[in-house]
Amino acid sequence: MKRLLLSLILLLSLLVSVAAAGEALSNPRTMKFPELSFQIPQAERVVLDCGMPVYLLRDTELPIINMTAMVRVGSVYEPAAKSGLSGIAGVVMRSGGAGGVTAEAMDDELEFMASGVESGIGIDMGTVSLTSLKKNFSRTLQIFSHVLLSPDFNEKRLEIARRQTVESLRRQNDDPKEIADREISRAIYAGHPLADIPTFASVGAISRQDLVDFHRRFYRLDNMILSVSGDFDRTELLKELNSTFIAGKSRSALTLPEIPQPKQLFRSVLLYGKKDINQSVIRMGHLGLNKNNPDIYAVRLLDYILGGSFTSRLTMEIRTNRGLAYNVGSHFDIGRRFTGSFVAETETKAESTIKAINLMKSIIAGVTKEPVSDAELNAAREYMINSFMFSFTTPASIVSQRARLEYYGYPDGYLERYRDNIAKVTKADILEAARKHLKPDAFKLVVIGDAAKFDQPLATLGAVRELDLRLDIPKP
Amino acid sequence: MKRILFIITLLALCTTGIHAATLEEKVVEHTMKNGMKLLLVERHTSPTVSAWIRFRVGSVDERSDERGIAHLLEHMLFKGTTTLGTRDYSAEKPLLDKIEEVALALTAEKVQRAKADPAKIASLEKQLATLEAEASKLVIKDEFFELYSKNGGTGYNAFTSRDGTTYLISLPSNKLELWAAIESDRLQNAVLREFYTERSVVMEERRRSYDADPESKLWETFLASSFLAHPYGQPTIGWMSDIENLTRSKAEHFFHSYYAPNNAVVAIVGDIDTRSTIALVERYFGTIKPGKNLPPVTAVEPKQSGERRIELIAEAEPTVMIGFHKPAIATPDDYVFDVISMILGSGRTSRFYKKLVIEKQIASDIGAFDAPGSRYPNLFVVSADPRAPHTVKEVEDAVQEELELLKTTPVAQRDLQRILNQIEYEEARRMGTNGGLARNLTEYEATTGSWRYMTEHRGRIASVTPADIQRVAAIYFTRENRSVGFITKKEGNK
Repeated sequence: MKRLLLSLILLLSLLVSVAAAGEALSNPRTMKFPELSFQIPQAERVVLDCGMPVYLLRDTELPIINMTAMVRVGSVYEPAAKSGLSGIAGVVMRSGGAGGVTAEAMDDELEFMASGVESGIGIDMGTVSLTSLKKNFSRTLQIFSHVLLSPDFNEKRLEIARRQTVESLRRQNDDPKEIADREISRAIYAGHPLADIPTFASVGAISRQDLVDFHRRFYRLDNMILSVSGDFDRTELLKELNSTFIAGKSRSALTLPEIPQPKQLFRSVLLYGKKDINQSVIRMGHLGLNKNNPDIYAVRLLDYILGGSFTSRLTMEIRTNRGLAYNVGSHFDIGRRFTGSFVAETETKAESTIKAINLMKSIIAGVTKEPVSDAELNAAREYMINSFMFSFTTPASIVSQRARLEYYGYPDGYLERYRDNIAKVTKADILEAARKHLKPDAFKLVVIGDAAKFDQPLATLGAVRELDLRLDIPKP
Repeated sequence: MKRILFIITLLALCTTGIHAATLEEKVVEHTMKNGMKLLLVERHTSPTVSAWIRFRVGSVDERSDERGIAHLLEHMLFKGTTTLGTRDYSAEKPLLDKIEEVALALTAEKVQRAKADPAKIASLEKQLATLEAEASKLVIKDEFFELYSKNGGTGYNAFTSRDGTTYLISLPSNKLELWAAIESDRLQNAVLREFYTERSVVMEERRRSYDADPESKLWETFLASSFLAHPYGQPTIGWMSDIENLTRSKAEHFFHSYYAPNNAVVAIVGDIDTRSTIALVERYFGTIKPGKNLPPVTAVEPKQSGERRIELIAEAEPTVMIGFHKPAIATPDDYVFDVISMILGSGRTSRFYKKLVIEKQIASDIGAFDAPGSRYPNLFVVSADPRAPHTVKEVEDAVQEELELLKTTPVAQRDLQRILNQIEYEEARRMGTNGGLARNLTEYEATTGSWRYMTEHRGRIASVTPADIQRVAAIYFTRENRSVGFITKKEGNK
């Protein structure tokens, strides 16, 4: 292993590789390369007077500053009866004016400066981001802090956001791929808050006070991490941040509700949605694992070999050899706070639907039966180690990555040890991980398409439950 | 007023000067003897490099019997060369020849449709399958991908548009020679093996991207109906019957006609040494002979003289697209359209957003852009989703009201200044990634004739006056020049 890493730690410009014209051309299969120096870029961690951690990386290439606040909040904290609350809150924090500045005035001022402040709330994280030319940073920072900490939640703008959400619900069954992606996720997380999706009723039940309460509960200085990159002066920046984010009068200690992990129920389900289309959308999978599982490195390699690259088994067989699909693959989404998932996907013409499903299941089952080949392991390992540096190509991605590691509680040295951990994985580890984390017989399977045109009846795969794609649309 | 305008314009031009100099200084331009154009930018932020090759040939350059070939060829160029992707090309070659012979006979029989002989088709299909299985044993599948990827390459991809075809990769910066070796080999010695399987893949791509997605299907129909004569109307991927009749022979003909160094623009951006990179590219590409220059498209779209309305009945909520014919990129009126599309469609302060989304709340989403290409006269398109219970018609009327307003009322200076400020920011931002910059450099070099379009753009925009906007609006935003495409939801559907 040491050797592998050593050959990567390196230095040298292209001068060596590029000799005088007339030199023989090299064969890509045996080509040797000059060494390259790559050290994982570091961001500085500073704690503001108010206690908030900030990751900093100064880079003066462009006269731009980027900043992000990551807030411990998420849709998992919203009551099912008000599903959609966090999404709407995230939008209206920005669209509804803040700090007494109306939405219209804020839009006008930001866009005139060509600055951006955006806010959103996902499953387990809220973000407010800032982009600005250096010269407009101070004013943009003020607006950023208002949006983050003192949004107005203008009633009229809430109503617009609600109507927009209702419109997107009306449109949620227009694209068959969108239906399949949603339904496989709901099937995998059934019974857990991660399976809840907004409905006309839940969106209708959200009040302005709900937004105010939700924001007040989570958006506090002791519940967020900041990251800043770009063309700033460190001393000035810290001074500005310290005078912007001031700890207020002490509030009750922050308590975040416990959200249970989804239950591991390996039980198959077959869902079918009827659409008048010439190509079927296929999704299959089940729960996966989270970042604390020691198998994650073996699983990442398995992922690449099975369905995560252009030369993966699924792509090679279903696309390259058989021409059955344009898009085919699989992915372990390694969970951070919650158990992740494994999903395999493809779209194939209606007449090859069952054939493709059976092929996919047997290819996936294949990795649980025999070890992968040396060539497969080497190709996956080399890709992961050699392309590692692409996680660090912009200052903004470097600082936000550091902040994210802290946010989700990754162990110290996670990035520093990553390549070693990948290099250590053996074929036996991959086989064991595949056996533990892949149960093709227990897949939830979603098929959207026109069953009358399938090559065989869907029922040959098991008991079919038909999805009701009619929307119970309330009268506007 | 005139004077204020003058000062603002001058200020804008000055700032342009400063930033343009930055990009101007950073780009090194090198034209090789065989006509290949190289654009290089050193950026040492990370030890990585992006390399993009754009060929000035796209689907607009196809004849009617080869629609879809530019895109299918792009897929085929991932299949290797006489030395890569094969175990033994001399053994493979005779098989490939036989495959093509059988495939041509099969294609000729199938095109008879109802009159075709089913027994003959079955027999040819069987022969083809046997030969393909035989040839497959000699293939090293996706070896380009394998080589790039084990060396840490990411984002290895390609895309075909109306105007051009681009091949891209990002690599650790010490591996650039791998790119030079593979790409120069591909340009000279490509072998279009596994053609007929890949043709099936492209049919699946068509089903996925157009047939089964109502909005994209409307888009395709809308564009096809907007151009009667000019090939901008034909879908880049080809109609299904086009794809069914594409052959390896047609793809090879297209390849040998147009893929030549004089039709290529290369951008290499990242952790490089400019001088030695030029030497590297010269060494690998310098000996390739130039080919013919690409002839311009001869068809000229006749002036439209009445509104065209295109309806798609689909299992989807209504959406609407409104298009107006307009001139090609880098023409005087095109710069005015750039201003118009920003005023109408860019950001929360844009007129469409403020009027249709916030004030009237009749649309949930609206945007304005140029399509489907830029080298030739194209369309200014407004695309919107009506918000129920509001209708396509209400959205159309509100859009038209905004277009009329452009004809009658001069745009405020502050609105023009906001646009210049946004372009200033964008000029800085777009230099922040290797891939993004390589993309812009190849795109504008190929479509406008010079990457300097990027550095001159803000100055051009600054010289657009409120009167220009009124004039252009009056000429182009007419009923005669308008096409409208919309989805009507299928009744009684589940």
